[in-house]
Amino acid sequence: MRFGWYRFLVIAVAAVAVLAPLVLVFYQSFLDAPFFQPVTHFSLEAYSFILSESDFWDAFVTTLLIGAGMTAIAVPLGAILAFLIVRTDLPGRSWLEPVILVPIFVSAIVLAFGYVVALGPVGIFSIMVKSWIGVVPWNIYSLASIAIVAGLMHVPHVYLYTAAALRGLGTDLEEAARVIGANPWRVAIHVSLPMVMPAILFAAVLVFFLGFELFGIPLVLGDPQGILVLSTYLYKLTNLLGVPSYQLMAVVVVAIVVVTLPLIYLQRRLLRQSQRYVSMRGKGQRAAPLRLGNWRWPAFAFIALWFFVTVVLPIAGITLRSFVVTWGEGVKLTEVLTLDHYRALLNFPNIERGILNTLAIGTIGGAFAVVGYTLVALAIHRWNSGWVRFVDYIVMLPRAMPGIVAGLALLWVFLFFKPISPLRATLVSLWLAYTIVWFAYGMRLISGTLLQVAPELEEAARTVGASEARVMRDVSVPLIRYGMIASWLLIFLIFVREYSTGIYLLGPGTEVIGSLLVSLWGTGDVDLVSALSVINVAMIGIGLAIAVRLGVRLHA
Amino acid sequence: MPAEQRGLGLVFQSYALWPHRTVQDNVAYGLKLRGVAADEIKTRVAKALEQIGLGHLAARYPHQLSGGQQQRVALARALVYEPPVILLDEPLSNLDAKLREEARAWLRQLITSLGLSALCVTHDQVEAMALADRIILLNGGVVEQEGTPTELYTAPRSLFAAEFMGSNSQLNGTLASRQGGQAEIEVEGQRLRGVDRGSAAPGAAATGVIRLEAVRVDGASGGNGLTMTLATQMYLGERWEVVFTRGATTVRAYAHAPLAEGEHHVEFPPDALWIF
Repeated sequence: MRFGWYRFLVIAVAAVAVLAPLVLVFYQSFLDAPFFQPVTHFSLEAYSFILSESDFWDAFVTTLLIGAGMTAIAVPLGAILAFLIVRTDLPGRSWLEPVILVPIFVSAIVLAFGYVVALGPVGIFSIMVKSWIGVVPWNIYSLASIAIVAGLMHVPHVYLYTAAALRGLGTDLEEAARVIGANPWRVAIHVSLPMVMPAILFAAVLVFFLGFELFGIPLVLGDPQGILVLSTYLYKLTNLLGVPSYQLMAVVVVAIVVVTLPLIYLQRRLLRQSQRYVSMRGKGQRAAPLRLGNWRWPAFAFIALWFFVTVVLPIAGITLRSFVVTWGEGVKLTEVLTLDHYRALLNFPNIERGILNTLAIGTIGGAFAVVGYTLVALAIHRWNSGWVRFVDYIVMLPRAMPGIVAGLALLWVFLFFKPISPLRATLVSLWLAYTIVWFAYGMRLISGTLLQVAPELEEAARTVGASEARVMRDVSVPLIRYGMIASWLLIFLIFVREYSTGIYLLGPGTEVIGSLLVSLWGTGDVDLVSALSVINVAMIGIGLAIAVRLGVRLHA
Repeated sequence: MPAEQRGLGLVFQSYALWPHRTVQDNVAYGLKLRGVAADEIKTRVAKALEQIGLGHLAARYPHQLSGGQQQRVALARALVYEPPVILLDEPLSNLDAKLREEARAWLRQLITSLGLSALCVTHDQVEAMALADRIILLNGGVVEQEGTPTELYTAPRSLFAAEFMGSNSQLNGTLASRQGGQAEIEVEGQRLRGVDRGSAAPGAAATGVIRLEAVRVDGASGGNGLTMTLATQMYLGERWEVVFTRGATTVRAYAHAPLAEGEHHVEFPPDALWIF
């Protein structure tokens, strides 16, 4: 019976943590002034203001366009990549997978900075190209650029789901088509593609949905040209009227959630559908990979080119930029090399704190987050109850809030509930925001490992006399400890990378690299931004290297 | 009642040994949960492992044991806290054929020598007969028949029980007469006498069931047989399995030597032919 109490306690805490910010946002959206003001009235003023703003509608349409554009780019590329890696004799396919997943773990805002310093009008590579052909044949500050960059960055998401579906598909289905006389390419088009179509469709909806979460790329590449998406519109709104216009921001948040919630629901349905296909697998033996013949190296070059443009180019650009005094036409590299930017970082106590805080929230905060996710996962583990569905929805809800929105909502929660207000200026607020934003991801990691524990191992403990709580302590948790450590590493990477969730919570004591980068970019200090970006990338690189070395699967 | 309060011993089909604990710790867990003192746990675990003949493997982890050894550890884990009843869920189904026969003998010996009450679930009738003092035959959750292995094998009360145990041949025909525990069935135009096991009225469809080893194919006629054509014969090692047909009726039997092609007299001793 005591375990029953534990279950409901955990569910209640999780529900409050998830619902409080959302409810507060909805409440705020119907007020005529910020909720902390002494006199507020219920009103629809904020809605009529926002909905009559042409900037809002522009941002809305831009968001849809970028979402559609990045989907159109990421889906075919990701599906082709998955097919090449899973089904063909592509060179290096055994070590390519972790490489392909790298963009998931690199901060989007760092990549965006990288594109500006590498491919911007006076970017390092732009100047190089200009010296060859006389002009810079691209414009990084445009809607198309944002869609292309975002599309390239989200290729791994499509890859993951398509590859998983392809692997789940028994090769015997393809063999059967080969035997009755279809050539490999016909098999790919007529058998493999239709079978993985539900997974690809799911990935497409996912990528389109992630378009609403974009913040760093549109902020860095769109803002200079006045291109706003919903998240950057929200960010700009902060200072629009001089006074904090919470009610207007709340309306924008509601608008975002109203679009993203149905998309999440659609994803759930599509995922279930794609799993129905996977269950049609035959016997899972591996057949000989499809021979690419002369296409092997061109295919490899295709993947290498994608990786170069998506990861190497921006990171090389920002790294180079962090070691030079200035950059422009006619500058000789050897004359401008410097370490000053890194030294300068130490002159700012808030930056120094930010670096330490980032490490702390990644390691200690990550560990606590994993513990929290495990507590929730255990509470619903092998529980035959309607409450499990309820928890499923609770877990799913935060996904509807892009990081910047969740950070804002959490800030309000800390302002609204007076007893916890003192925590606002501590890392606890940031940790809570991070943990809620990545709730669904963390739960997927932990329940994935929990599901691998054979049920009879737990039943055996029950029959020899262990209570449910005892079984969790003595059997389930010890059995998933390696899974928990692996999850901790992944959560570390995610927390170190995170930049948008901390923006509204940024203050003395809660600085992290991600949110500092956003605010430093606002001041235009490219020197500091590039040095700090490189430190962020280095942290993630080390974490990734450890994860790959330990054989951690890089996806949930 | 929650499983942990039932106080039963359960041996899982897959053994369900905890991979993160040694053999010692696997067996000791039930005692630890019952608050037994540490040194008593030690002696009782040692005794249990001794009983199953694995005393020397206490420090190993389950994955370092063979399938048969794992099964013994699972049994020790269920025995050690002396539950009133041990449940065995298909205990031998995870072992390969040769090992299974050894484990069967070992298990029977252990159960009788320790005087255990064991409830063993199996779908293998040979295993059931070898292990059990009493068999309860279930059909779709309903008790079909219960009794000693001998009763079930030699005196099945229903067609299901008769067909389930042993290897049988079926003779489908119509009931010609029944009287005084005897019945006659008409098969392929011939009347055959047998033991009355059914409740049908004469003229209704009936089924005769006979164990393969009871069918006589040595040519001797007891006046209760059919002339049938040899369809095929298979060498099984210690004997031959022969298949006869006549019309729609197929009869299998055992022979000590291969038979000649053509027609044979197949005899069904009346006391071994059950008519349902």
